[in-house]
Amino acid sequence: MALTSHVNEGAFAMRRQHDWTALESLVRHAQVHGVKRLTAEEIARLSPLYRDLCADLAAAQAARYSAPLVDSLQALTASAHTIVYGVYARSTSSRSIRFKDAALAFPRAVRRHRTAMTIAFLLFFVPFFAAFFASMHDPSFAFRVASESQLRGLTESYRAGFAGGRESGQGAMMAGFYVNNNVGIALRCFATGIFFGLGSAFYLLSNGLATGAIIGYVTSQGAGDNILTFIVGHSSFELGAIVIAGGAGLALGWSLVSPGEKTRMASLRHAGKDAAVLASGAAAMLFIAASIEAFWSASSAPDVVKRTFGGVALLLVLVYLFLGGRGGADVEEAER
Amino acid sequence: MTGAPLDTDIAIETPEHIVFRHRVAGPARRCVAYFVDICICYGTFGVIAIFVGLLFIGAHAVGDEMSGLAGAGVGVLLLLAFCAEWVYFVAWEGFQGRSPGKRAANLHVVTIEGRPIGFREAALRNVLRAADILPIGYVVGVVTMLCTKRFQRLGDLVAGTMVVIEGRSLVRAQPIVLYPPATAEELAALPMVVRLDPDERAAIELFLRRKQTLGPAREHELAEMLVEPLGRRYDFSRRDPSRVLALLYELAMNAGRGDAPPSSRQSSPPGGPPSWR
Repeated sequence: MALTSHVNEGAFAMRRQHDWTALESLVRHAQVHGVKRLTAEEIARLSPLYRDLCADLAAAQAARYSAPLVDSLQALTASAHTIVYGVYARSTSSRSIRFKDAALAFPRAVRRHRTAMTIAFLLFFVPFFAAFFASMHDPSFAFRVASESQLRGLTESYRAGFAGGRESGQGAMMAGFYVNNNVGIALRCFATGIFFGLGSAFYLLSNGLATGAIIGYVTSQGAGDNILTFIVGHSSFELGAIVIAGGAGLALGWSLVSPGEKTRMASLRHAGKDAAVLASGAAAMLFIAASIEAFWSASSAPDVVKRTFGGVALLLVLVYLFLGGRGGADVEEAER
Repeated sequence: MTGAPLDTDIAIETPEHIVFRHRVAGPARRCVAYFVDICICYGTFGVIAIFVGLLFIGAHAVGDEMSGLAGAGVGVLLLLAFCAEWVYFVAWEGFQGRSPGKRAANLHVVTIEGRPIGFREAALRNVLRAADILPIGYVVGVVTMLCTKRFQRLGDLVAGTMVVIEGRSLVRAQPIVLYPPATAEELAALPMVVRLDPDERAAIELFLRRKQTLGPAREHELAEMLVEPLGRRYDFSRRDPSRVLALLYELAMNAGRGDAPPSSRQSSPPGGPPSWR
């Protein structure tokens, strides 16, 4: 038998309508202009009105009032819930958007995943050096990863040196290319890590092989000095970012393989938090790499300057990744 | 409706112990939204590409000194291609909680706790598109969606998000009004107190709302089915079952006191002093 309320629906709605309308106008205002634009009085009214509405919804459901009333109360509750609790969700998740926090969170996350990073490093650099020495020894090895005509063209352009530099328009074009290509590869390398890390491992291996083979070939053709001068400026950012993106993918995959005491889904979501930091950090590093590669690496600056710059860049990257945000790390761990 | 939950409903309990349901969006609806997004994204890209193409031709016509500008144009184009693939969704969902395509399809991205998403979630779920899109045309994503109860693709699983169909509008549906009003004679033929259980009430309400769209024969037939069990419980004549149902519904709705007791809560008038409770 139905629960009959003491108050019928019409009377209930009439009594409470005033508050509902007030809350609705607040919610609409907050939806359009954001919560921050509400005045102090409006904020103060929002929360009691929302709680009253929750009570009304519960009463309406218990009294089995008609569907349109319950539906509209439910819709209003849902919208108000988003406003009341959404502020909290936003402020916690976009907290790391603040530049300083983000800049410190990234190296901390890298160090937290040092095992994955080491494996990613090996997955990239072992095939890299293997391919490098293989094509140094036998240049035809490189033809397996790139076509002969491509490699010859590449060798020619490196042999020519950088005396001519690059026009600025050309530089902008190459910057676009490097961003599109390299950041795309890094993000794919990260994303496919969800397949138990296999995708990331594949990208790391294949990119390591290809890069090693091409550099080995160009060196074997006698343009080794020039290609070193070219890559030394940006490679610490670029290869570092690829390794970190791959490591993040491996960590993501590992969270599925070995979830520990969590369910696999919960473990994946947990791993996702750090992975987001790592992937966006890697993307930022690649943006830096792309601008160096486009506007500096092929410029007509003297070789000595370029190599010194490259050394300093490598040192900076290493110091940043190994020491950045140290000391505050305990705080970060405790927060988790 | 507040009837039996569909299996695509996800119940979310708020800290106030209120449960409301989100309807999660399936692959079909999300495919439509994605298509709209792709059109917007690459449509814009195409227009700019044509513009840069014209610039390129123009630069060649003028001479070599302009080729730098054209090179920069190509660079911008490549940058835009990158944005179309990786930034578009992250930016829209990070700021607005939904992309224009999702807005068009009435969808919203929320966390599995029903809260709006932030940038981290937006970035994760959209970077993971690269995995969902494999091997071709989001096969992995669709298969994953079909295997999870919230229709989550891999990106949603990692970010802890789901795509829900936007809640009903805040505008309240019109209550059902009995027309013409009950006559004394009609009321006399019916019992004084009518108690309907929730299912009966929902069924009658649904019927009354659909009445206008039915033919008279079908209306009569459906009403007969509803009136029969009620007629057995309350002894009344049923010459016009549809009218009887409307009357019963009206009676049941108005059960209980019509006058509200004075409210225990004092609702502050708008603009008045804030009530700190």
